[in-house]
Amino acid sequence: MQALLAAFGISGSLLLAQAVNFGILMVALTYLLYKPVMKTLDARQKKVAQGVIDAERAAEKLATADVEAATLVTKAEGEADGIVAGARETATAERVRILKEAEARAASVAVDAEARAKETAAKSLRESEKEVARLAILAAEKVLMKEHSKHA
Amino acid sequence: MNSGIHVSLKAETIGHIFGFVVTNSLLMTWIVTALLIIFAFFFGRNLKMIPGKLQAAFEWLFEGAFGYISETLESDKLAKRFFPLLATIFLFVLVANELEFFPGVGSIGIFEGGVLTPFLRAPAADLNLTLALAFISFFTIEITGIATLGGLKYASKFVNLRSPVGFAVGLIEIISNLGRIISFSFRLFGNIFAGEILIMVAGYFLPYLLPAPLIGFEMFIGIVQALVFAMLTLFFIKLAIVDPHESH
Repeated sequence: MQALLAAFGISGSLLLAQAVNFGILMVALTYLLYKPVMKTLDARQKKVAQGVIDAERAAEKLATADVEAATLVTKAEGEADGIVAGARETATAERVRILKEAEARAASVAVDAEARAKETAAKSLRESEKEVARLAILAAEKVLMKEHSKHA
Repeated sequence: MNSGIHVSLKAETIGHIFGFVVTNSLLMTWIVTALLIIFAFFFGRNLKMIPGKLQAAFEWLFEGAFGYISETLESDKLAKRFFPLLATIFLFVLVANELEFFPGVGSIGIFEGGVLTPFLRAPAADLNLTLALAFISFFTIEITGIATLGGLKYASKFVNLRSPVGFAVGLIEIISNLGRIISFSFRLFGNIFAGEILIMVAGYFLPYLLPAPLIGFEMFIGIVQALVFAMLTLFFIKLAIVDPHESH
């Protein structure tokens, strides 16, 4: 056995040195390489997972937004229809009111005109009567003057 | 024939630090360790949320390996616990096996008595390293088994007095578990050491033609051996945490 160990150069101190060397290497690699790499991989995995969650949330929000937008559009359309209908009703009422006012005004104008025409006719009649009377007086004067001259 | 090939089964001593023997394979181990730590330091500090090509490739390997370990052990918690060990075994053995083909490794050294003593030697071509890794794997596997199943239940895998067959199976289990130390260490050592010898011999006979494809092949063997060592450790951990009654 001793000869075998000597032939291969096996010694306790060298075995221990190699084992300690390997132990140091393992500890160093663990802290300098394995842990940082593991940490980076974990961080990246978390980031990717968060990205997926965010994307899902965004998709959900988008879907909700679409529904909300459709609801808003429908509501707005309803409101617009209401406004248009209201405006139409108001316009119709206004038209009727204006028409009535115009008719009343026209009637009033017609009454005024008739009254004015009657007044003018009466005035003309009175002036005609005055003229006739004046003409009658003139004619009577003429006749009287003629009669007078004849007698004279 | 005057042999130009010198083969040393054991790592050569290249110096002493405070009375401690420093071999060329231990020096290479330190270099590999330093390179890995430097890489880890700069790579770990420059990680980005949007990765570059190197980071993306490393993360792909990292995630793949972690997923495989988690799938095999059927637990994320256990995967997190054993990932550093398994990944370090893989990276360390891989880099050590690949760096041995760099110019200068095994070829620069001191000539003494016509024999070259290289400053650097493939770490896995020294049984001290492979045996140390085998012991680390072995104790990790056994301690995990005891910690997960409890001492008595884990011992029941090896000591079964209910039937002669069960007793024999228990003995085989003990031998196979202890045999792992030898299989772990000699598989890696044998492959890498044999590869070095093969390239050395090929270089001696056909120096300008044969070594290149063999180096490519041995680089592939280096990757496979790193993978085998890490994966066997993983599978044996899995076997250790399986309830003995469930496994039957």
